[in-house]
Amino acid sequence: MIETTPRERRRNSQKAEVVAPRQGFRLPRPIRRLQRQAPMYAIQGLSSLSTRLRDLTGRDVVDMGRIMEVVQFIYQQRELARRGPNYAVDEFGFDPQWTESFITVFKALYRDYWRVESTGVANVPSAGRALLVANHAGVLPWDGTMIKTAVFTEHSQPRHVRALVASQFMSMPLMSWFLRRTGQAVGHPDDTRRLLERDELVLVFPEGTRGTGKSFKDRYRLRRFGRGGFVATAIRAQSPIIPISVVGSEEIYPMIGDLGPLARFFGLPYFPVTPFWPWLGPLGMIPLPSKWRIQFHPPVDVSDLPPTAAEDQHIVMSLADEVRDTIQQGIYDNLKLRRGVFL
Amino acid sequence: MTPNRVLITGVSNPLGAEVARRLAPQVPHLFGCDIEDPVSALEEMDFVHADTRLSVIGKLVRQLRIDTVVHLAVLVDSPHDERSIHETDVIGTMNMLVGCSGPSSPVRKLVVKSSQAIYGAGGGDPSFFSEEMINWDRLASGITRDLLEMEQLVSEFALRTDGCDVTVLRLGYRVSEDTSLARYLSLPIVPVFAGFDPRLQFLHEDDSAEAIVRATVGRHPGAFNVAGGGVVLLSQAIDIMGGRPAPILPPYWRWFSRLGVKTLLRVDLPRHLADFLANGSVMDCSRLEVAFGWKPAYSSRQTMDAIALGKTIEAIEPPSPPQEYELQKYLQARRRRALRLSN
Repeated sequence: MIETTPRERRRNSQKAEVVAPRQGFRLPRPIRRLQRQAPMYAIQGLSSLSTRLRDLTGRDVVDMGRIMEVVQFIYQQRELARRGPNYAVDEFGFDPQWTESFITVFKALYRDYWRVESTGVANVPSAGRALLVANHAGVLPWDGTMIKTAVFTEHSQPRHVRALVASQFMSMPLMSWFLRRTGQAVGHPDDTRRLLERDELVLVFPEGTRGTGKSFKDRYRLRRFGRGGFVATAIRAQSPIIPISVVGSEEIYPMIGDLGPLARFFGLPYFPVTPFWPWLGPLGMIPLPSKWRIQFHPPVDVSDLPPTAAEDQHIVMSLADEVRDTIQQGIYDNLKLRRGVFL
Repeated sequence: MTPNRVLITGVSNPLGAEVARRLAPQVPHLFGCDIEDPVSALEEMDFVHADTRLSVIGKLVRQLRIDTVVHLAVLVDSPHDERSIHETDVIGTMNMLVGCSGPSSPVRKLVVKSSQAIYGAGGGDPSFFSEEMINWDRLASGITRDLLEMEQLVSEFALRTDGCDVTVLRLGYRVSEDTSLARYLSLPIVPVFAGFDPRLQFLHEDDSAEAIVRATVGRHPGAFNVAGGGVVLLSQAIDIMGGRPAPILPPYWRWFSRLGVKTLLRVDLPRHLADFLANGSVMDCSRLEVAFGWKPAYSSRQTMDAIALGKTIEAIEPPSPPQEYELQKYLQARRRRALRLSN
């Protein structure tokens, strides 16, 4: 060590760096202040307008709740951009913060576009594992996003549902990125087991692409439920099965044809033809605003079955049929409750 | 059985040198062989110039009465042409196994280095690879095929030879300085496959050496996945390294992108690495944790952080004794000068 006097130490110590002001053109100070405060002024103005219009008309003409959701969405996106690489995804690649920022978009679809009415969300457990089994329809898996939104927004304990996706979608660009990021996993028994062992809610569509790719005249008729693999996995993981009936997803893309050779060329399970797709181009991808109902049925308990029952094909298939019947019955009930396709 | 006379093949690569350094105090007799000279001399180790691709290895094993062979002459992460990788990995291992087999062989333990690359990286693969999930039917190419062939030879040897414990360590992707992956990730603007953000898993050099040492000293027959915990997204990894991801590589026709990256950026992306950077692959290391009672100290994220930190630090060669003397003299002179200036 070199002995130094305080004076020397003061002389040798590093001075705080003087940060030079940024060169170039800058807007005058009052305008810069206005720039900073404009969003706040805009919100204040809107809220006073909303109050005044409510006083005048007696109705919510400008709904401040919705406007604040949009503002929240913008701020969430800014925050996401600011976090850099300092965030953690779980081992499946799920980024909860990123996903929750998009809930606003899906909530708007859920509430305003398809006017989803969901019943029996309380059947989904607040904690612990469960296997959600639903019917699959519509050309694109919008029913999956709506079930996820229903559980996240309507349940007393907001939980993320992890859906299982056919493996061919996981090798597609953009698709695989989005699906992984929002918490989906590959439809493989091993993935299902791991998710259930982590006490997650796992959503499975046993019909798979047979359900989404069926033509409009077959709507609301359930396809074969795979080979009952989901029941075997649930028995092994001792997880309750919650059947879900979704009504309304069949009408979003009325599929009138399937171009097989084109589908094979693109590596897709089917290439749909609807009254709008592919004639109108990207506009044809806009789903129709049908009226949706989602019913969560009471859980089917498998905890009294021993794990060896998973190998018993008879038990597995009869349970799978039971679940399938529950879902089919739920579809008929909800179709009766719905006043019209678009009402 | 505690190892008494240990032979390390491929001791001149950085990993081999590190394993030798850690094994030296733990075993009575240590031998190393490689075709190149070791970078730094190790007093406790006897070095032999020997090529695993020649039958000399069998003579060496019998002459030196080797009871434990640590086979690290397996090229995976460093850039080499496919021909020499095949020669070293498959033919070299075959020769080494032939040398260790037979009734006259004194070898009682064999530790073989393999890699995560053996699983390949397909989009539709399950999210986690456990040890038995090797896909023998995959139309593999490049390193994946070589490693499959190599492990098949090793498992045949393990079945044939009763008194010999065989441990196969499937090491995760390493990002030390000489690997292709590190060179790719430390580009200032990193071209990535458009529409993909895969989950990656890395293994720190310290942990890979430690795993090999533990497998050598202890008795753990079988195959084990070794990789850091958690996952890192590719975009995160690039961000941590201070680069920027540029999604300009087309997601299909990967050979085209590989060619472009090789000619324009001089970074070699073998086929398995291109698949890894599009689809990602993650291993399940729970078997290692149970059997070894140990898990890698660095998680995937910490490995990336350590590499990024290492990038900013200038590497200093460890001084040899004469250099050390001169360094001390120089530091002394500098200290004197500082003292004189301050007075």
